[in-house]
Amino acid sequence: MAALRSQPLVAPDPPAELARPPLILNRRGTAWISGKVSGIAEGRAPRWWWAAFLPSAGLTALCFAMIAYLVSTGIGVWGLDCTVGWAWDITNFVFWIGIGHAGTLISAILFLLRQPWRTSISRAAEAMTLFAVICAAIFPVIHLGRPWDCWWLFPIPNANAIWPQFRSPLTWDVFAISTYFVVSLMFWYVGMIPDLATLRDRARTRARKLVYGLLAMGWTGSIRHWRHYEKACLLLAGLSTPLVLSVHSIVSFDFAASLLPGWHTTIFPPYFVAGAIFSGMAMVLTLLIPIRTLCGLEDVITVLHIDRMGKVLLAAGSMVGYAYAIEWFTARYSGSPHEIFAWENRAFGPYAWAYWTMLACNAISPQLLWLRRVRRSMAAVFLLSIAVNVGMWLERFVIIVTSLHRDFLPSSWSYFRPTLVDIGTLAGSLGLFLTLFLLFIRFLPMIAMAEIKGAAARSGARAHGDPDPPGGLSG
Amino acid sequence: MNAAPVLHGWLAEFATADQVQAAAGRVRQAGYTRWDVFAPWPIRGLDDAMGLRRSPVGWFVFAGGALGLAAGMAMVWFMNQHDYPLAVGGKPMFSTWFALPIAFELAILFGAMAAVLAMLALNRLPRWHHPLLQTPRFARATDDRFFLVIESADPQFAADRTRQFLESLECVHVEAVWEEGPCDT
Amino acid sequence: MPGVFPKWTNQLPLNIAAGLAIAGAAVAAGLGYYFTPKYTRVGYQPIQPVPYSHATHVEQLGMDCRYCHAGVERSWFAGLPDASRCMNCHHQVLAGDPRLAPVRDSMQTGAPVAWIQIHRTPDYVYFHHAAHIRRGVSCLHCHGRVDQFEEVRHDQPLSMSFCLECHRRPEAYLRPLDQVYNLGWNTDPARQNEQGRLLALTGDMRPPLSCSGCHR
Repeated sequence: MAALRSQPLVAPDPPAELARPPLILNRRGTAWISGKVSGIAEGRAPRWWWAAFLPSAGLTALCFAMIAYLVSTGIGVWGLDCTVGWAWDITNFVFWIGIGHAGTLISAILFLLRQPWRTSISRAAEAMTLFAVICAAIFPVIHLGRPWDCWWLFPIPNANAIWPQFRSPLTWDVFAISTYFVVSLMFWYVGMIPDLATLRDRARTRARKLVYGLLAMGWTGSIRHWRHYEKACLLLAGLSTPLVLSVHSIVSFDFAASLLPGWHTTIFPPYFVAGAIFSGMAMVLTLLIPIRTLCGLEDVITVLHIDRMGKVLLAAGSMVGYAYAIEWFTARYSGSPHEIFAWENRAFGPYAWAYWTMLACNAISPQLLWLRRVRRSMAAVFLLSIAVNVGMWLERFVIIVTSLHRDFLPSSWSYFRPTLVDIGTLAGSLGLFLTLFLLFIRFLPMIAMAEIKGAAARSGARAHGDPDPPGGLSG
Repeated sequence: MNAAPVLHGWLAEFATADQVQAAAGRVRQAGYTRWDVFAPWPIRGLDDAMGLRRSPVGWFVFAGGALGLAAGMAMVWFMNQHDYPLAVGGKPMFSTWFALPIAFELAILFGAMAAVLAMLALNRLPRWHHPLLQTPRFARATDDRFFLVIESADPQFAADRTRQFLESLECVHVEAVWEEGPCDT
Repeated sequence: MPGVFPKWTNQLPLNIAAGLAIAGAAVAAGLGYYFTPKYTRVGYQPIQPVPYSHATHVEQLGMDCRYCHAGVERSWFAGLPDASRCMNCHHQVLAGDPRLAPVRDSMQTGAPVAWIQIHRTPDYVYFHHAAHIRRGVSCLHCHGRVDQFEEVRHDQPLSMSFCLECHRRPEAYLRPLDQVYNLGWNTDPARQNEQGRLLALTGDMRPPLSCSGCHR
């Protein structure tokens, strides 16, 4: 049989400092990966899971209670007014949508860039994307005065004979967010099919066999199936990459296509996309750093992974910092008194506290990640990721509220203060997000087992001086 | 349901990807046509070794994307220009510029749906019952083992000779796979 | 543990797809039929305090619409007759009829008869009766053959798409001003468009299609 294989070219071993570090530590084999990852979804829920789940579920209940109170009483229960017509609702929306960008970045863009290390974190990041988009989708709906009419946003024939008005970026947003949710859901689910089959084949009870069997759709791992499957995944990644860029560009059009100083800027689309990737990567780190320890996944999500995500965070944070600087420059350079006022009001007006906190969290604190020691310290990266989450929320708050609260008419100037309902809804949405994520790691394969096994097998072959065979499924 | 079980084929188990890849080359050389390899992850180059053609999923995605783009443009034109033109902000009733975001999103949406549906249809999935899934040893096909099946439907299939042929390959184990009823759905 | 799915489950995907398609079509059709004003509003016929018959008054007695709905040519509101208008005749005709007791009470106390409103445009819609009547839109188009009703009912959907039908193609509905109150007026359908176009041209009638035409 050896005669059938072409003789591999013998490449000289790279020097030690250039050698690719292993994706999986401690020479863990494929069976160990299946057992470890499936085990998280198979055993009894550990105590830390309940300790995290119960408060999250409580916050989710708070979220629904706040929404019920809002819908039954009216928008007046929030702190917004005629001047600040968009406040926490849209801040939360943009914040969650931004969080929802890391999953596709990791799964699609890093996939196309052939970064095999993404396999350890892609599944959890995709799930996080979905849950963040669910949280995001709540806010535009409930901020409508009449949320029950939200279906008017979709082109559904109705007795009023009216259609959505497609000259408005708000209708583009409806299409962008819905498409993003559906495509992310399909990408996530299709990627999970082989792993669901693993869970099915390991199942010991009839109920688990039935549920995972239904979800796995009868996947057998046939090479004939893998061929179409790999092509479909590649194309989904190819489609998701422009999609993820378009979604936050279109979200930024909600602001940039208006005429308000502080919003009407051509820099907004790239600036928003960078910010989205920044916040999404931070949220991935916030979730995965504790989970790798709690689930004992240090050999799969290695320090190297955290290190690399830290580098992405640093790059995205620097882009966001650059955008802050350019915002200032654009305002000054425009010579428009309104633009200059909008910027100065941001930095030195009543919301200066938000602006400078945002700047410290988003532009300055990630610079620590230049240090290898910081990137490799779990505690430091975790704290930085929390700072970035806070900073990115504040960024949206600064963009939205400081641009609105100083109207062209000084008589309508106002200062937005959140009410308890505002705060409860934000905390509740965080609870909903965590609840969904905890359910996900409890019941579904949280690491892309099949992908990581394949990537490890290939990188293992490479480490032994065995180049990739030509051709290949994913070509 | 209670019809006598029929032989679905012979199942050979392999420990490594290299072994199953080498075996696949041998099976193909031997001239079998109804056979398949099962692996927990896609093995590079194995589809070439099996003589499989490129997957046509891409064409479906292209068609889906083109349809989505056209549908988006047509929808915006129909709703805002044709069926109920409403003047808003001095903008034209229709322009490809403001229809583009919608058309783009729909192109992505339809393309992605086409990718998933084409993948499922070409693979004949979902297919919850399969003789292999009734075989206990086959459970490791989604874990760490590699399998090669030559089906009894193959014109060259001969119960004993095929078994001996598989045993001559570098495999761990060979066994029969049975299926209920006379023919498969 | 081997697979738990019996062989017949392999036929399920197609069945499920077909079932979903049928269910989706049924839901869409059901929503379109049962959840639009054509169903939810047409046919609404509450029991009124007085069993007033338009058929008797208009068909048999030949009364004009404007005798009771006096504001229809001048106001946004067609107007309902007060009790004194009824009593012009009914102090002699059916003077002691128990069915007319609420009208007599109203006459004495001054409190209006508690008619139940049937046709109701939403607060955010500005509808002007006179603007329509004086341009040749008949009562018929929105209220149906009210001259033949024993009891008044909601005859047309009065949804926005219903309004738009006429605002987009007034020529299909406009009639000569002297035929507006003649609900039985019949013109040759072939001639209607030609005649209607002429009426629209001579009257310079361009019904608004913009939002602010009706939502002010």
